[in-house]
Amino acid sequence: MTKKLPNFMFTNQFGLFCIVIIFVIIFSSITDGFTSRFNIYALSRVVAIDIMIGLAMMVVILTGGLNLALGAIGVCAAMFGGWCMETMGIPVIPSIFLILGMGSFLGYINGVITVKTGVHSFIVTLATMSIYFGLMTMLTEAEAFRRLPASFTDFGSIKLFNKYVSPLLIISVTACLTLFYLFKFTDIGRKLIAAGANPDAAELSGISVNTMFIYCHMLSGFLGAVAAIMLTTRIGAAIPSMAGQLGMDWLLPAFLAPVIGGTLLSGGKLSVFGTMLGAILVTLITNGLYLIDVGEFWIRFFLGIILLIAVILDKTREHFTLKSVIVS
Amino acid sequence: MKLLFSLIVSCTISISTTAFAGSSGTKVALVPGGPHPYFAAWEKAGKDAVKDFGLGKADYKVPAEWDLSQQNELIESLVGKGYNAVLVFPGDAVGTNKILGELDDAGIPTAALAGCVEQPTKAKMCFGTDTGHSAYLGTKQLIKAMGGKGKIAHFTGFLVDPNTTLRINAVEKAVAEAGGGVEIIQVIADIDAYEPADEKINAFMAAQGGEVDGIVTTAWVPAVVASQALTNMGDKRIKMVGIDHDEVVLKAIKEGYVHGTMLQNPYGQGYIGSYVMDKIRGGCVFKANAPWKSTAQTDQFIDSGTVFVDITDVDTYVDAMRGISLDILKTFDGTYLDC
Repeated sequence: MTKKLPNFMFTNQFGLFCIVIIFVIIFSSITDGFTSRFNIYALSRVVAIDIMIGLAMMVVILTGGLNLALGAIGVCAAMFGGWCMETMGIPVIPSIFLILGMGSFLGYINGVITVKTGVHSFIVTLATMSIYFGLMTMLTEAEAFRRLPASFTDFGSIKLFNKYVSPLLIISVTACLTLFYLFKFTDIGRKLIAAGANPDAAELSGISVNTMFIYCHMLSGFLGAVAAIMLTTRIGAAIPSMAGQLGMDWLLPAFLAPVIGGTLLSGGKLSVFGTMLGAILVTLITNGLYLIDVGEFWIRFFLGIILLIAVILDKTREHFTLKSVIVS
Repeated sequence: MKLLFSLIVSCTISISTTAFAGSSGTKVALVPGGPHPYFAAWEKAGKDAVKDFGLGKADYKVPAEWDLSQQNELIESLVGKGYNAVLVFPGDAVGTNKILGELDDAGIPTAALAGCVEQPTKAKMCFGTDTGHSAYLGTKQLIKAMGGKGKIAHFTGFLVDPNTTLRINAVEKAVAEAGGGVEIIQVIADIDAYEPADEKINAFMAAQGGEVDGIVTTAWVPAVVASQALTNMGDKRIKMVGIDHDEVVLKAIKEGYVHGTMLQNPYGQGYIGSYVMDKIRGGCVFKANAPWKSTAQTDQFIDSGTVFVDITDVDTYVDAMRGISLDILKTFDGTYLDC
């Protein structure tokens, strides 16, 4: 115990946790309504989606790559789900599986192109972002699916724990625990990390690095589809603009959460709970800035600054955190 | 010119409404779908409503982008901050209903402003320009100016704007009623931002400027860009009817490059909308037999007014809009509310 406590206190996650607590105290003190039931509930819903988006990017960053098409995958999956439920009349549960399948498939395409061409996933996903979004726009004629089953859309409005918490947050926390277990305790999880940390060594030790990279992109697409389902239940419709033009509105939270959380951009090391804390921190700061009235346009400025600082910290993080902790 | 317009209208209405002044805990958030010059008049409208009706607050808050999620997030944070009434330009005609329902459940009245949400909705009303009717009237004016025949182009706004479809349909209806002498040769949508509008309108003018006889624009930025294009070309052959009161459009009307414009009433929407929210929070309800108008999206619509202005009355258009706003305000309680 005496040995482990100091270790934990030197982790990036502990530092993040302290920063989150400090911001909670600051915003509670200087703003009106930060701790109101309405605001905490709204925060729980926003942070749930941001955590999922962050996790979706984190699993590709693990390979040393990026998934710029994440938002486009999310929108495509959501629109596909809207088509399944509204146009085809497929029940909710099978539709959810189809949505998840669509997200995974689009991620699979990203992975296959990346490993087959050897081109960095930054370029590949930049291209597929436009391809996926363009195809979706052509097929749907940019028409939203607005008459989804109430049993699906009502889920996003459920209030738990004396109306303070959205069930979406429980889904995100469950996803974090599942991913932590996957990467920490399973054979396939360790192989994914090994492939990202040192592809040559992994290949020599019998791991199919290409397959692992494809799995990571599939997992990213799957998690992006989960985020899309959550967002669709929140806004009650599947809308082409739900993640902005080309899905690019997801990129900032997608990068901020894992990078702040301690996932190395060079790959091979990830922090599931750090990503969760990173998403919480970003959502807290955004909400707090709204409440202290800094002006909506300044919020983007501050988030950009935070990302820049996080990237700089990423370069120095290895020297100040425990090198032995690969998954946290 | 826009500032002058707002000042004159607001001063006149303020003088006329001092009797409404009182004190209230109503804090109104006026939230557009995203940044756009059309909504700028809401800021002064809110401030004047605070001054004239004794509201606690009536603040104009703009999402950083045209994005439903960002708009929802902004509204939620504003409610967390204590705003207890919300006037919103819907980020999506159906998608926005979700948050309006949640606000209603929390005892916060809402209304759609300048654009409607589709029913069923918890929004208390939709108060805006009858955009379809405005586009229809504008197209009729254009066809008349063209002598009842020729080819026209229609430049309009964001596809995510619930008004855009209504405008496209209305222009088609007016053309259909022209009896076959008029043909729509191009509809360019999703250009209510300067960069895409500039690119697409100028490309169209370069390619088909010689073929087109008339232009109708039904969104702010396309009206500005098309007016500028005609002025730069020095072309008075092509007739154009624009929308709104940007000074570029008004100047082009005075110089004869643009035939006229369909004015809307954003100031009146923000000002009267804030007043209505305060009334509803004070216990008033809409009459069961209120004379609502119907649109394709809702049957709880109140028209904030529209008027065609051409070279004969472009210098006095402020009077026309002022008159419309005052008329609506003077009769609003008796016509729509049970207090």
